[in-house]
Amino acid sequence: MNSCPPSNLLTVDALSKDYKGQPILEDIHLELHKEEFVTLLGPSGCGKSTLFNLIAGLIPPRSGRILIKGEDITGQTGRVSYMHQKDLLLPWRDVTGNGAVPLEIRGSSREEARKVVQEALEIFGLEGHGHKYPSQLSGGMRQRVSLLRTTMFSKEIMLLDEPFGGLDAMTRFAMQQYLLTVLKKIKGSVIFITHDIEEAIFLSDRIYVMKGAPAHIVDEVRVTLKKPRSPEILSLPEFHALREHILKQLEE
Amino acid sequence: MKKFQNIADKWLLFLLILLWQATVSLGLVKPYILPSPAAIVTELFSSFKVLVYHAAITFTEGIVGLLAATLIAFITALLMDRYAGVKKALYPLLVISQTVPIIIIAPLIAMWFGFGIAPKIFVVVLVCFFPVTISLTDGLSEVDPELIDLLRSMGARPYAIYTKVKLPYTLSNFYSGLKIAATYSIMGAVIGEWLGGKAGLGVYMLRARNSFALEKVFASILIIVLLSIGIFGLIKWIQKRTMPWAHLQEDDHQ
Ligand SMILES: Nc1ncnc2c1ncn2[C@@H]1O[C@H](COP(=O)(O)OP(=O)(O)O)[C@@H](O)[C@H]1O
Ligand SMILES: [Mg+2]
Repeated sequence: MNSCPPSNLLTVDALSKDYKGQPILEDIHLELHKEEFVTLLGPSGCGKSTLFNLIAGLIPPRSGRILIKGEDITGQTGRVSYMHQKDLLLPWRDVTGNGAVPLEIRGSSREEARKVVQEALEIFGLEGHGHKYPSQLSGGMRQRVSLLRTTMFSKEIMLLDEPFGGLDAMTRFAMQQYLLTVLKKIKGSVIFITHDIEEAIFLSDRIYVMKGAPAHIVDEVRVTLKKPRSPEILSLPEFHALREHILKQLEE
Repeated sequence: MKKFQNIADKWLLFLLILLWQATVSLGLVKPYILPSPAAIVTELFSSFKVLVYHAAITFTEGIVGLLAATLIAFITALLMDRYAGVKKALYPLLVISQTVPIIIIAPLIAMWFGFGIAPKIFVVVLVCFFPVTISLTDGLSEVDPELIDLLRSMGARPYAIYTKVKLPYTLSNFYSGLKIAATYSIMGAVIGEWLGGKAGLGVYMLRARNSFALEKVFASILIIVLLSIGIFGLIKWIQKRTMPWAHLQEDDHQ
């Protein structure tokens, strides 16, 4: 493991968190490198979203630090982008307007922001939909807009919290491939949360397996399946071996 | 289907008026107990000028009061949403303020504000600001906390959270409250005029009643109804203009 923080994009160092005296997270260590796709895999309720809230600076830790390129950013908001399972789109703004929100918060005028978003629509497969309102879009399309908005804030460090958890299986699979395509184009770095082992293996370069109460990281799995990932890898023996390995970690 | 519904609604109203006219015309009810619709409409035309004069005063009181109530409601609701302590202290007081009968405090209102336009506006504010404040306050507190967290994670300040999320989110709630308030506003002005005054539909109605000119009373009531519906319709129109996204589905089906 590389322990020299400045070489990491993001470092989570010995992070612990309590809720009302109840320990939720204990001594969490993780790191994210540039253009890497890292997944936090663990059962529901183990504290994955809490870890994201800590990294996003929304809640303070009991102890430990969060560093970006060596700089301590513990408790600071506005440093990473965050995407939820709910699309959280503003119903009164069209697709372009929704994508513009983070730019406006950063101080751009509405017109400037819209222009920037309009130029990005194509990358996200949203060309021709810029003037549609969220209520006119399907669940999958809405998550595309949500991803667009997320990257408009920052593509350097993106926290994606079960972004496809609310979609049906077919849409979900399409969205996984879509996500990888988009990330390749924009050269983003991602920490992704899921409790779905196959989703984790399909998408990730590395997987942190989390469990327990308080939760801690029980394993770090490197996924060496060839890229770009295509549906065929789901039937490779390596894929099954990884799945068995992780399953065992979670069951122990 | 919708068109048919509209016609049916109008026919029902028409039928009721016809029934009313028939009851009076056939002598089942004496005209000094209940004037006929025809007599009311005749009265409406013959004293049109006087009615318009009084209606304009009542309408002004109603509108000014409604606008003032809306402004006060916005300030109150924003303060209550921003500061939990203010909400805890103020919310019960707001509810209590609505349980005090206006007629009982009428002499006080006259003492405080005299007999000009001020006490009428005060009564309108008193009845209008409650529904608007409550609808705004509840709307503001119902915004998805995850959405607020999302903006906070981007480093958004409270001002941005209010202007970009909370206030637009509350708009439909706000209009619901405002529509209720609008239907109270003209009535509030009339009650204000009953407490004492020289002009307005309330005063005109009292005078008409005291001289047993029932058709004048009913003509005033008709004007009050029309004014209230007018303000209500105006708000509905503004709502549709300011919330185009809320009517997308309807448009799709047309
Ligand atoms: N604001 C909070 N206050 C108290 N307990 C919380 C709060 N948020 C989450 N928890 C608790 O922390 C644990 C982890 O929750 P969460 O991070 O949402 O899990 P996950 O995202 O892995 O499903 C849960 O037991 C949950 O009940
Ligand atoms: Mg979660």
